Amino acid sequence: MFFRSRKLTIVSAIAAITMAAAGAVFAQSTSAPMPLPPTVERGRVPRVAPPVRIWNEDHERAIKTDANINLSLCVLQGDVKVNGWNRNEVRILVTNGRNFTFKVQQKSARSGDPVWIMAVAEAANKEQAGPISECLRGDEIEIDAPVNATFNLKGQEVNTVVDGIRRVSVKNAGGDISVRNISDGVTAATYRGDLTVEQSKGAMVLENTAGNILVFDAGPSEIGDIFKAKTTSGAISVQKIGHRQIEVNSISGTVAYNGDILSGGSYSFWTSNGSIKLSLPANSSGMLTASYGYGSFNSELPFKLNTETVTPGPVKSIIATMGSGGDATLKLTTNNGSISIKKQ
Amino acid sequence: MKQDCIDIGLIQAFMDGELDHGQVDRVSGHIAACDTCALLLADAEDESAVVFPALEREFNTLVPSQRLWTKINDSIATERGSRPFWQKAWEFLSVGFLTPSMLAAASLLIVVGVTALVLTGRQPLADDSTKIAAVRPAIATTSAVPVISSNPDVIAPDVAVASTNAPTVRAERADYRPAVRRVYEAPVADFQPAVVKDTSNGYLPGEESYVRTIASLSRSVESQKDNTIRGSERMSFERDLAVVDDAITKMRVEVKKDPKNESAKQVLYSSYQNKIDLLSSVSQKEELVASLK
Repeated sequence: MFFRSRKLTIVSAIAAITMAAAGAVFAQSTSAPMPLPPTVERGRVPRVAPPVRIWNEDHERAIKTDANINLSLCVLQGDVKVNGWNRNEVRILVTNGRNFTFKVQQKSARSGDPVWIMAVAEAANKEQAGPISECLRGDEIEIDAPVNATFNLKGQEVNTVVDGIRRVSVKNAGGDISVRNISDGVTAATYRGDLTVEQSKGAMVLENTAGNILVFDAGPSEIGDIFKAKTTSGAISVQKIGHRQIEVNSISGTVAYNGDILSGGSYSFWTSNGSIKLSLPANSSGMLTASYGYGSFNSELPFKLNTETVTPGPVKSIIATMGSGGDATLKLTTNNGSISIKKQ
Repeated sequence: MKQDCIDIGLIQAFMDGELDHGQVDRVSGHIAACDTCALLLADAEDESAVVFPALEREFNTLVPSQRLWTKINDSIATERGSRPFWQKAWEFLSVGFLTPSMLAAASLLIVVGVTALVLTGRQPLADDSTKIAAVRPAIATTSAVPVISSNPDVIAPDVAVASTNAPTVRAERADYRPAVRRVYEAPVADFQPAVVKDTSNGYLPGEESYVRTIASLSRSVESQKDNTIRGSERMSFERDLAVVDDAITKMRVEVKKDPKNESAKQVLYSSYQNKIDLLSSVSQKEELVASLK
C-alpha cells in the first residue's frame, strides 16, 4: 500500500537531508578561519578610559542659613531622611551618590544669610555633554536642617522620612512618606506608597493614588487649619486629630476615624467602595448625615432620627441628631459598604 | 485488537482520502466504536503531523508521472477539437493583441476617452450649479449645534443640522441632473459611542461642566496612561475608574427617577469630582516625572 512505500520514501528523505546538513556543517566548521587575537603594539599601553566614579562616592556639604530657611531639592533615587536641629545651618550627606552643590536663591535682607536654597546635582565631569538633571541621586540622602525650616521635595522613587522641622511639602511619584513632629503644616503626595503622619500640627493635605494613609495625633497650628486626606485606592485611618475641618476621601478602601467630634467642626468621610468606621466618645454631639448604598448603618451612640430615606435603590440616607445636637456636622457617605459608629 | 479491526494500510488510505464513500462510512463508523483503531488513527495522524511539514517542500515539487502527462495532453487535445469558432478566434486575438504593450496602449486610450467624456459632460452641470447657488441661501440655512449625549461621559462631536423653515424652491432645467451628494460622517472617537441628545433629559445644574471636563481629561489620559501607569498601578486605576463610573451611572438613574433626591445628587457630584481627580492624577504624575528629568 501507499503507506509502506511512502514511509520508506519519507525515512530515506529524512536520512538524506540529515546527512547533507551534517556534511555542510562539518565542512563549514573545518574551513572557517580562526579569529586572530587582538594585536597590541609593542611598548604602547592601550588607552582605556578610566571608569567615571559618579554614583558610588559620599558627598557632604553644609551651608550657614537663616533660621527660617526654605530648602528645595529633587531626588531621582534614594531614601531621604530629614532631621531638624537647633543650628542655623543646612547639612546634606549623599551616600553612594552624585555630587551636589547649594544654589542660593534668596538671602535675608536683615542678616544676609540665605533664606531659600536649592541642593542641585553637579555634572560628573566637565566634558559631560547634554542636559544634566539637577536632581540628587544616591543610596541615602541625609539632611539636617533648622527646626524652623521648610522642606520641599520632588522625587521619583523615593522613600522619605521627615522629622522635627516646621513645614513639609513632598511630592513623589513613588515610595513611602513618613512625617513626624512637624509644627506648621504638611503637604504630601505619593502616587504609589503609604503615607504616615504622626504628632504634627498645621494644615494637612495628604494625597495618595495607590496606598494607605495613616494619621495619628495631629492638630491645627492655627484656627481654621484644614485636614484633607485622599486616596484613590487604599485605606485611610485617622486617629486623635484636632482639626475642625476634616475631609477624608477614598475611592476604594475603608475609612476609619477615631477621635473627638469638636463643636463647630465639619467632618466629612467618603468612600465609594468600602466601609466607614467611626469610634467616637460617648458624649459626642452633632448633626449626622449618612448616605449609604449597598450596606447598612449601625450606631452604638444614641441619636434622634430626623429623616430616614430607606428605599430599594443605591441611596439610603439618614439625617439624625447625635447627643445634644450642637453645631458640629458629620457627613458620612459610602456607595458600597457599611457605616458603623462605635463608642470609644 | 478485535477480529474485524481495520489494518493500518486502510487507515492510511482513509487519511489520504483514497477510499470511496461507502468505505469511508464503514471505516469512520468502526473507528468511532473501536478504541484500538481510533488509537491507530491517532498515531498515524501524529506521524503525519511530524513528517509532512518537514517534507512539505519535497511533496510540493513532486513531478507528475509520464502516464499522467499523457492523459493531460490527450484531454487538452480533445477539448481543443471540440471548441467552437468564437473561442478559437478569441484565442487568436488574445495571443496576438493581449501583449503588455498593447494592453497599456488600450488602457491609455480608455482613460483619455473617459476623461474627455467627463469633461464634456460636466459643462452644463456647472452652469446649473451656479444658477442654483444663487437661490440656495434662501432655501436652507445650516447651523452647527453640539450634540450632547444622554450618557454623561460622552460628548458627541458637532453635527451640522439643516433647518428647513424657509419654503423650498427648486429651479431645474430639463437636462439637469442633481449632483451626487456625499455624506461625510463626523469623526467620533472609537471609545465613545455617540448618542443623540434627548433635550428633555437635560443635565443637572453644573453637571455639564463636570461631563465636559471628564471627557477632555479622558481623551488626554487615554494617550498617557500606557506610559504613565503600569502593572498593579494600572489595575488599581482601571478598577477605581470602574467603581466611580458605576457610582455615576447608578446615581444618574436615581436622580432621573427622583429629581428631588438630594443625597443622590450629592453622591453624583462627588463621584464626578472623584473621577476628575482620578484622571487628573495620571497627568499630574506624568508632569512630575517629566519635571525631574
